[in-house]
Amino acid sequence: MPALAPERTERSVLADLRPIAPIAGNVSSKGRGLIESRTERRELSVADETVEERRARFERDALPFLDQLYAAAMRMTRNPADAEDLVQETFVKAFAAFHQFTEGTNLKAWLYRILTNTFINNYRKKQRQPQQSNSDVVEDWQLARAESHTSNGLRSAEMDALDHLPDSDVKEALQSLPEDFRLAVYLADVEGFSYKEIAEIMETPIGTVMSRLHRGRKQLQVLLADYARERGLIPSAVGGES
Amino acid sequence: MSGFGFGPGNIDCDDVLRDVYLYLDDETDDVLRNRIRQHLDGCAPCLRHFGIEQDVRSLVARCCGGDQAPRSLHERIRVRITEISIETTHLEYRAE
Repeated sequence: MPALAPERTERSVLADLRPIAPIAGNVSSKGRGLIESRTERRELSVADETVEERRARFERDALPFLDQLYAAAMRMTRNPADAEDLVQETFVKAFAAFHQFTEGTNLKAWLYRILTNTFINNYRKKQRQPQQSNSDVVEDWQLARAESHTSNGLRSAEMDALDHLPDSDVKEALQSLPEDFRLAVYLADVEGFSYKEIAEIMETPIGTVMSRLHRGRKQLQVLLADYARERGLIPSAVGGES
Repeated sequence: MSGFGFGPGNIDCDDVLRDVYLYLDDETDDVLRNRIRQHLDGCAPCLRHFGIEQDVRSLVARCCGGDQAPRSLHERIRVRITEISIETTHLEYRAE
């Protein structure tokens, strides 16, 4: 995706945001110094800004991301009511912290970071309900099966079948991935964030992002092939049990 | 990966396949990117595998984003932001 390349070269986008985002939680004493110096520097331009001007700037710059954040929230929470609450809470928090946001840095990633934090803190526990039947979870043996029946995972013929799956099946398959895998795959494949950005958003090392992406994508392929088989798009003899 | 292999691009298929996501996610350096590209030019099975991985990514990108938030949510958030800014303005007046 060459269109994303320029964004990726802004190496410090999120690293810069970490100390200034109050929602980030643990602020080290070292980070606190950063907050102050940044705030001072920032005050030059923001101090003159009235609340009304800030609200207008927020509406202009942040609110256009509302639909995108809602889509992400839907994949996270898996239901519209929770997704709406999550998005609203995200924007309220973002607005409260907006005077600290450095203009010109990566606003989209900053909003995703708040969204992800809010989801993890508020909704993850609540969602530890029997939302997932065991059959949704891909076991390692299934993975092994997927990797063994052809050394390359899916076959070309199977991929052609996947193209005919309804969107809702693909969404469901993604949503049934374990949360950390699901988020990593969503942020990479749908939003096109770089590994570094995903690492900042999810607060994990890049190596962890890579392994979540790898496992998440492999599991997703198994699930998608299963959906296609259930719909008769793949004859079970082709990709089935061996 | 850094190994010197005997496949096209001087890389073995195993190494290329291991880095499929790095390549597709545009996370390789130029040297590795060129070697993988050369390999794919000369190795049909790897090219096919990369194509499948790319297709799955596109499928996910196409199907899993794009939900539209209800108008009522847009409205509610706008109202809430306005309320907060009015409250904030009042507080700042008081402080002065």
